[in-house]
Amino acid sequence: MLVDLAQNTLDGLTSGAAYALLALGFTLIFGVLRRMNLSYGPTIMFGAYCATWVSLNYQVGLLLLALITVAGAVLAGGYVERLCFAPHRRGSAIAAMVASFALWMQFEELATILLPRHLYAFPALYDGGPLTFGPLFLRVEALAMLAAAAAVCPMLWWTLYRTRFGLAVRAVISQPVAAELAGISAPRVFFLVFALASAIGGLTGYLIAASHEQVTPMLGMWTTLKGLLAMMLGGLGSLPGAVLGGLALGVIEAHTQWFLGPQMRDLIAYLLLFALLAINPPWMAAWTTTRSAS
Amino acid sequence: MDDYTIGVLTNIALFSFVALSAYLLLLAGEMSFGQQAFFGVGAYCGGMLTTLFGWPLPAAVLAAMAAGAAAQFLVGLPTLRMRGLYFAMATLAAAEMMRILFELLHFQRSIEGDLVGPDGTQGFRSIRWVFEAGVEPAEYLALIVALLALVVAGFGLVERSRLGATLRMIGEDPELAASVGVNVERVKLGVAAVAGALAALGGVLYAHHNTYIEPRNFDIMLGVHSLAYALIGGLGTAVGPLLGVLLDVGALEGSRLFEGYRMTVFGGLVALLLIFRPRGLLDERVVHWLRARFS
Amino acid sequence: MSEALLEVRDVVTAYGKIEALRGVTLSVAKGSITCLLGPNGAGKTTLMLTTAGVLKPRSGSIRLGGEEIAGRTPNSIVARGIALVPENRLVFASMTVRENLLAGAYQRRDRGEVDADVERLFGRFPRLQERQAQEAGTLSGGEQQMLAVARALMSRPKVLLMDEPSLGLAPLVVEEIFRIIGELHKEGATIFLVEQNAHMALRLAHHFYLIEQGKVTFSGNPGSLAEDEVIRRAYLGSANA
Repeated sequence: MLVDLAQNTLDGLTSGAAYALLALGFTLIFGVLRRMNLSYGPTIMFGAYCATWVSLNYQVGLLLLALITVAGAVLAGGYVERLCFAPHRRGSAIAAMVASFALWMQFEELATILLPRHLYAFPALYDGGPLTFGPLFLRVEALAMLAAAAAVCPMLWWTLYRTRFGLAVRAVISQPVAAELAGISAPRVFFLVFALASAIGGLTGYLIAASHEQVTPMLGMWTTLKGLLAMMLGGLGSLPGAVLGGLALGVIEAHTQWFLGPQMRDLIAYLLLFALLAINPPWMAAWTTTRSAS
Repeated sequence: MDDYTIGVLTNIALFSFVALSAYLLLLAGEMSFGQQAFFGVGAYCGGMLTTLFGWPLPAAVLAAMAAGAAAQFLVGLPTLRMRGLYFAMATLAAAEMMRILFELLHFQRSIEGDLVGPDGTQGFRSIRWVFEAGVEPAEYLALIVALLALVVAGFGLVERSRLGATLRMIGEDPELAASVGVNVERVKLGVAAVAGALAALGGVLYAHHNTYIEPRNFDIMLGVHSLAYALIGGLGTAVGPLLGVLLDVGALEGSRLFEGYRMTVFGGLVALLLIFRPRGLLDERVVHWLRARFS
Repeated sequence: MSEALLEVRDVVTAYGKIEALRGVTLSVAKGSITCLLGPNGAGKTTLMLTTAGVLKPRSGSIRLGGEEIAGRTPNSIVARGIALVPENRLVFASMTVRENLLAGAYQRRDRGEVDADVERLFGRFPRLQERQAQEAGTLSGGEQQMLAVARALMSRPKVLLMDEPSLGLAPLVVEEIFRIIGELHKEGATIFLVEQNAHMALRLAHHFYLIEQGKVTFSGNPGSLAEDEVIRRAYLGSANA
């Protein structure tokens, strides 16, 4: 019983690590743009699909596949930023979001054109069995996901708090007008943050695909939902919140699924979010008081 | 008119109800990602009443609308103070919860030897009241269009009235509206109920047109599509969302030109359109201009 | 009389259909303190934001040292030597005082000199030095104003724009702010100042303009006969403007 609890928690932390990374990407974009990018998941899926196509047609190493996923996601992300967010920078938030949704449709169709079947195999990281730590199991892909999250977080922190670029990003998040007055080019910051978020997303997408050993067009929707959920749970706009929200979501899901099945798992996750939004506890209200989300 | 065209037009009309329901909320300044849930409530409620309890369609429609209104009212209560993205995410969460509830809904009865009723993810088939009542597809389409016309006319009346102005005021600046004495919360709840009823109306008609529904029909894609229809068509008039649906469904079905690339082309066009017309084709400015020219 | 460093000619800035600036013409002489007075809503902040590039003028010309800058992006205007201390200060609340200063020097590549400037500014604003590791949001109003001024100075601007530096501050703090403006001027700075507090501003300014309803209605030096009239119109607006 205790072993089950521990195993579920471990599994939950693993999937939570993926959610945390997705939420980080969403939060970076939201923090700087104050808008929801509905195409974030789809651009990740696009990257994964590019890698899948390459893996089906050529013999390539895992590292190259990961790089292709990241490159595809960043390319797609840049496209979305230019077409959906740059033009509406001072204008309508809804227009930007609906435009990003329109591009989501594009990415889904392009993915099915590239690879028409509903499901494709994706190479796993490791062909052997799972690692064991005493009574607990941990697949290599899961370990990689945990490692990726553990690596990305301090790197992101360092970028934001120890580099000139990070100073610019934080300034734009804090006071966009004052940042421009200080000589920071807000449009450039938006574009680079988008690229950074897409890169993180691409890496996460690669690990998710390798972990599931398959890709489907639903990957776009799935990553979007999970990322949004995790981001909101941790408090919109907070980077540490995104990580905590992601991990919490993963662990809660793992335990509810164990006891109540997959449908209740999702139901409880949404219910939790709804309840939190309705009650509006202090950590979530952090962003409603300073800057509005619309 | 051949059956295929009738089918396409019927779909356009049916999705117009959800689009209008999203539009109504947008007027009041609320971006809802959840109208698909109330579409589903109408579909399941109306479908069950006619199939399992032998209700005639008109009664089922009214009941479905009441159910949709009640459901959206209940969701509207805790979300009253939420703005912008928070409201959007809350409606998304609520809608997904409802979809999962549809997946968990198993309620079947044996009617004339067959097992009918919603069966979770397996769906709900044989919603055949319209078929069995001998209503032709063209007649059903005419009925739906008539109802849609009534709804649009209703919108037209409201837009010219004080209520319409109040709605748009709330949409622009709720604090300002409250400061001039508008009971913002009451209006928002009223709008929620009407929007829920509208979506549910579309849902019950949809269920009886398709004769088969499943929870997947009511997922986020439909919700975001509804929002997109309203925005693309234009937020200046109720005809805007209709235009949005027409362009999307009509162009998609009607054009053989971009076989296989339809969404790519359409998606790109939408994104480009929004750059130049962020409030849609029939936005407030165009509508004012049209009204000035034709009055 | 020294040459004009900043020349604004016939600038029109509009918000949609509403013209906030209806053809503003003025100039700021090098090494001077020039003041823009006017009632609320006259267009003072709009002019500051237009000059800094945050707003784009619909027509007209803004020249800095002879070079046209109207319509350029804010960061290219900063590069050319204008820094605005905005109304309401707008400090980066979640960043430390030191980071706020470094942000002001964002475009500079001379790391050593930047650090030297930070120390110099801490010398001028000792209270900021005390609080250099504190988050800017925890500072008092007066300290935030100092911080905003210091941040603007970090870019070593040719012209310093200040939008209502005394707004919402206690009288003693206002004295201090204006003392610092005086100091900066003595060191050769060119300052273009928007102020509601006409009395204080006129004590310091070499030249002032009065703006009403988007147009410059008066231009003169303090001490001229029309001063009382000007102050009255600055606060109340002219009945027939």
